[in-house]
Amino acid sequence: MSGEPSIAATLPDEVLRIEGVGKRYGNFDALKDVSFGIRRGSIHGLLGENGAGKSTLVGIISGQKTATSGHVRFNGEPIDAKDVRTMEEAGVFLVTQEPMIIDHMSAAENLMLGIWPAKRGFVRWRKLRADSAQMLAGTGIDPTQRAGSLDAVARRKLNILRAMFSGGKVIILDEPTAALTVDDRNQLFDFMRRLKAEGVTFIFISHYNDEILDICDSVSVLRDGALAGGSEDVGAMTSEQLSELVLGRGLKLFQRHQHDLGATPVAITLSNIRSAKVDLDRLDIHKGEILGFTGLPGAGAKELVRCLFGLIPTQGGSIDFHAGDGGEALPTSPGEAFKRGIAFLSDDRRRDGAVTQMAIGRNISLSSLDKVSRWGFVDRAAEAALSARYFAAMGIKAAGPEATVDSLSGGNQQKVCLGRVMATAPRLLILDEPTRGIDVGVKQDVLQIIDDLTAQGVCVIIVSTDTDELVRSADRVCVFGGGRLRRELRGTEINAEALRSIMGEA
Amino acid sequence: MNASTNTGAAKPANPKGDAGNKPLTWVLQNVVWIWLVALVVLFGLFNQFFFTVFNMQNIMVQATVLGMLGLAMCLPLLVAEIDLSIPANMGFSSAVGVIAMNSMGLPWWIGAGLGVAIATAIGFFNGLCITRLRMVSLIQTLSMMIILQGALLAMTHGRTLTELGDAYVWIGQAAVWGGWPIMPLVFVATIIGLGVVLARTVFGRCIYAVGGNPVASNSAGIRVEATKIKTYTLAGFLAGVAGFLLASWQMAITSNQGESFLLYAIAAPIIGGVSVFGGRGNVIGVLGGVLLLTVIQVGLAIISVPSFYVGMIGGLMIFIAVAIDALRVRMFG
Repeated sequence: MSGEPSIAATLPDEVLRIEGVGKRYGNFDALKDVSFGIRRGSIHGLLGENGAGKSTLVGIISGQKTATSGHVRFNGEPIDAKDVRTMEEAGVFLVTQEPMIIDHMSAAENLMLGIWPAKRGFVRWRKLRADSAQMLAGTGIDPTQRAGSLDAVARRKLNILRAMFSGGKVIILDEPTAALTVDDRNQLFDFMRRLKAEGVTFIFISHYNDEILDICDSVSVLRDGALAGGSEDVGAMTSEQLSELVLGRGLKLFQRHQHDLGATPVAITLSNIRSAKVDLDRLDIHKGEILGFTGLPGAGAKELVRCLFGLIPTQGGSIDFHAGDGGEALPTSPGEAFKRGIAFLSDDRRRDGAVTQMAIGRNISLSSLDKVSRWGFVDRAAEAALSARYFAAMGIKAAGPEATVDSLSGGNQQKVCLGRVMATAPRLLILDEPTRGIDVGVKQDVLQIIDDLTAQGVCVIIVSTDTDELVRSADRVCVFGGGRLRRELRGTEINAEALRSIMGEA
Repeated sequence: MNASTNTGAAKPANPKGDAGNKPLTWVLQNVVWIWLVALVVLFGLFNQFFFTVFNMQNIMVQATVLGMLGLAMCLPLLVAEIDLSIPANMGFSSAVGVIAMNSMGLPWWIGAGLGVAIATAIGFFNGLCITRLRMVSLIQTLSMMIILQGALLAMTHGRTLTELGDAYVWIGQAAVWGGWPIMPLVFVATIIGLGVVLARTVFGRCIYAVGGNPVASNSAGIRVEATKIKTYTLAGFLAGVAGFLLASWQMAITSNQGESFLLYAIAAPIIGGVSVFGGRGNVIGVLGGVLLLTVIQVGLAIISVPSFYVGMIGGLMIFIAVAIDALRVRMFG
């Protein structure tokens, strides 16, 4: 499938050509002799593991970084070593993962950020409103709305529109679907297709094969800084072929073996949990089960697990570990939850993942300090042993537990966080989107680690909107809607189509 | 995502310039101490008196009060907050203690202890305000500073308290072996004590975690608000001890006691590498910052810089230290 010869040759109507581009940092090659072309008005997928060089390459294309060797041609003209401003004037825009939006300004003002129509220094508000209303027509975004109140998909659309409004002809989207639900994602894809029909070219970075297969016309795959392959006809490729190109080996996708729920006893019972957005009557969790929670945002899945961990106050509810005490009230703080064997890992790694300036080892022990301390003093030997154990168990790629977390890639940071919650030796492990934003290889590692944990009888709840992940890992999936448990799927009932349709109904 | 995170493992590839330059790295990492030695040599060349034992003793005493304040100030900074009321707290609490002691005829140690207790209570109150009431620490402690300064003026009616008693001022005046003051020992003990707390205890670990990322710390089961309250309380306690030492050393409490220390008390930890964004810094750095500032102050006086220029030149020296430090942060993150 390595379509390198076809992609290296010049394509008809090329808008962008990458010509032997290389980037060197010290004695490390982040990019090595990468060449490919992109046709005008196409959506070109850029795939690769974390660290494969995707961000470096789009950084070079958008003018944020300078190539050490090679050229980037835009409409046939070499445009090397220009800054971001020059590239934007030429029409190349990078839309990053974090939408660059000023929350307290209106959608219209954000749309024209920095290019407000002005006359002698005064903003021409009427023109601004008229122009932006025209741009936003059909997107469902009210120009006068405060940007802070827009949802994730609207914010991303706003960023793309801003790039277009500024004369964008090639728009680079760096993981635009992270944190979006299936519905939002489809909406975004429709929006991209509409713009594509108007002649806009997209470079689309994603970790998800199904997204690439869904929306891209052509694809290039980077591996270890070099072009591993590509295709001008994505429609003819399969998910396995893409994964193989990304990883460079026959990737074995994780698949949990059947776990007979009928044969294992119930280990945890949740009952009568009520809060502002949660209304759960009863839920039994079996010993060693991986239970999937899914639903649209606000449906109650994310809220319920935060109630269990003491992050959201509840009006009532109990959790029974079947220890003969008939159950207890829910914990009221994360600290209490950890003490009672309930561990939780949030989906927002940037905000509340690791303390990135601290060492990996100290992050791992952070939730278990009471176990490695006496009279308030940290027992350094015990702490080092605990950290080393989970550092090894998680397979974290770093110089050692003394390295700080901010030197790690996203996937490895996630492993550090996972190590931290697992080091508390929980009875119930709750993971909110545990593999979001990490590449396909690390994702298999993480799912395998979770799988191994259940073999020791730990119950795991995975909150996820990634249907593929649920299909591969969950023994049972609970679909939430309106704060309630709407449906339960087991075994072969769990498949991508069923999940998507039920999520929409629930 | 930059190249260093790209490589996954912490490979030597460093995109932030060639950090492989060992001597330069070493210089930049220890810039406060090198600058300190350089200034000592410089002042010594200008005036031999700078190297005398008497001057060393003087510097040690001068550094003690600023040092205690610097240690107090670094605590809120480490949890990514600030406490501007620390120097005002120092003046106010010692005055209350002394006035109570004198008016009720209490023994010196009750007067000193009362002052420290009041300072601790004020620190605790500040902690409550910024956590439970969600007040912004910059403004809350600014208002507390103004309140305490005003209260001190109101209590003293602008007069200076000088009747402190021999026992009360003993610690600030006592010396052994031909003039070595004992007051700096309090500072040394505090450095060691606070150093152990920060480096070895669960509380210290929580301080760094909360300062580094409060949201993540909360999710990790750390009681963020409790940690901040404890931190402010400890800072208040240290301010109280500093207040006792200052009064004892000066043998007086003026109606604006402590006010002149504010900016230096903030500058010392920051010069010593304590991040204003929280989570970074240690007591040795604070010590470096305190000594640097003290040497500048004393040195400029000794080499007879006309007093009109002392402020300007001193400020310039601090500026250089901070600029070099910014360079270090820029190169080594």
